[in-house]
Amino acid sequence: MDANKFRIKNLIFSRINRKLTLLVIVALLAPALGIYLFYYILTSSFPSGLFSEEVALIKTTAILIIVLISIVNAGVIGFFVTRSISKPIRDLHKATLELEKGNYDVKLDIKTDDEISELGNAFNLTTEALSRLENERKEIDTAKTEFLSITSHELRSPMTPMKAQLQMLQEGYFGKLNKKQKESLEIITRNSDRLDNIIVDFLEISRIEAARLKFNFKEIDISQIIDETTSFMEGFAKEKNIKLVVNVDKIPKIEVDPDRLSQVLRNLISNAIKFSEENKKIEIDAKLKREHILFSVRDYGCGLSSENQIRIFEPFYQVESSTRRKHGGTGLGLAICRGIVEAQKGKIWVESKEGKGSKFYFTIPLEPIRKIEPIKVLFSSKKLIERKICEEFKTILGPLGNSEFYELKSKNALGKEDIFEYIDSLTDLHIIPHEKGLNFKYKIGGIFGEEKTIINKNNDTTYCTPEEEVLGRN
Amino acid sequence: MQKIILIVDDEEDVRESVRTILTANGYTVETAVDGDDCLQKVQQIKPDLILLDIMMPGKPVSEIIKQIQDIKIAFMSVVRISDARKRGLCSQPNIVDFFQKPFNVSDLVDRVEFILNG
Repeated sequence: MDANKFRIKNLIFSRINRKLTLLVIVALLAPALGIYLFYYILTSSFPSGLFSEEVALIKTTAILIIVLISIVNAGVIGFFVTRSISKPIRDLHKATLELEKGNYDVKLDIKTDDEISELGNAFNLTTEALSRLENERKEIDTAKTEFLSITSHELRSPMTPMKAQLQMLQEGYFGKLNKKQKESLEIITRNSDRLDNIIVDFLEISRIEAARLKFNFKEIDISQIIDETTSFMEGFAKEKNIKLVVNVDKIPKIEVDPDRLSQVLRNLISNAIKFSEENKKIEIDAKLKREHILFSVRDYGCGLSSENQIRIFEPFYQVESSTRRKHGGTGLGLAICRGIVEAQKGKIWVESKEGKGSKFYFTIPLEPIRKIEPIKVLFSSKKLIERKICEEFKTILGPLGNSEFYELKSKNALGKEDIFEYIDSLTDLHIIPHEKGLNFKYKIGGIFGEEKTIINKNNDTTYCTPEEEVLGRN
Repeated sequence: MQKIILIVDDEEDVRESVRTILTANGYTVETAVDGDDCLQKVQQIKPDLILLDIMMPGKPVSEIIKQIQDIKIAFMSVVRISDARKRGLCSQPNIVDFFQKPFNVSDLVDRVEFILNG
């Protein structure tokens, strides 16, 4: 900070101070001038020896005139102060709020010709710079999506002759194969299939990110889609003797893309099968909840830790690096599910407890969303969670929430335990009441995908289930 | 008499793979490398079926198919059928099938057999 800025000289000669000084001088001078004029007129126009009543009358009138001048004066000063100081500051404030919302086109037009207008100009330059950066960011983002799409297509074309030749070899087009050759070809085929699956998933992600995901809506019975999907998945479940239990409420026919819905369900059920042990069951539910249909897929497998619950929807995130080898899959399934669900303005989340199993939820709207918007699927899950936490801070703590959030973020203390500790310190210091603290914890827990029972122990007053909570936040 | 199939693809490896598969299954196979080549070969050999890649450099596929109205055409493509539809490629009545690349060999053989022999 430059100490010179606070020197007396600068304070006196700053243009805004000059203006204010001028106003004060005028404010003092005007009534003084009035009084002076009055006495001047009084003494010059009326010779002595006048009746004292007349003098009293004139004096009263004079005082009234002076009061009147003062009022007009105050009004004039008020007008000038408003025009040259308050209004520009209000404009600046409004513009800053606009900027926070992400409107980089906001422009200030302050013509006061003082420090405030300088501030306004600086603000305009800053928004211009921000707008430039934002455009650059968007361009890079589009380039990334384009690159992903083009490379995926380019990667896919060599797969065609490769797979064709492999299959010809395997099907004996070029003569009989011995056991070793067959085994070798199987390994090549398995891995080329895996590579192809990854490429297909990449293409799907590039579609989601570029809002090119296609939905073909049909009015259809939800239970029919669920039945078809589960009977398709039963083939895989049988290998581990897993039972698929379907429980669908009465739901009116809605417009939905059956293939996309089935894609999400297949993905969740296939994950549930992968992470279940033999002879367990998997429950698939669907019910009507306000403006949504809520689906859930529950398994009784190994469950997920809190850290894994946040990150499970990130691309290529697998709970342990060994699970990929053990369970196969591209690691993009859940990221794609999130993309599909969010493209329909739905929510997808997981509740889980280690060792007890996981329950994946997702919602679809009763009215289909026809205007598809781009969704960031790659590398954004952590940021999304941070944003949700920041929003929660702002709701509970008001404007202070923002700075508190960044304080914690700068300390790298945005883990669930860290935030809980922070909330405890707030309630201990009576900064927020105990009830509010519990509610805060509950909301944060929800963001981290915590099971409702953990927090419900202490908080049974205003309790709503996590699913209602998530729906409500929509 | 052996049925004649014309394979049109800009990638040699794809052309040769499909040629091997179909020749082994008793068809006469000719190949073309692009749209103009395709139209020329159609005049010369009068194929029974054209397997046409929908993404090739040069003449757009929509123009090629306009000039072939009386020969069955099956598309081969890396992009999905929905993308092809969006480009208005699937409206002609002589377009009989769509092979998503990478295709399955036995599936290709079965479907070609069905198209040509019903």
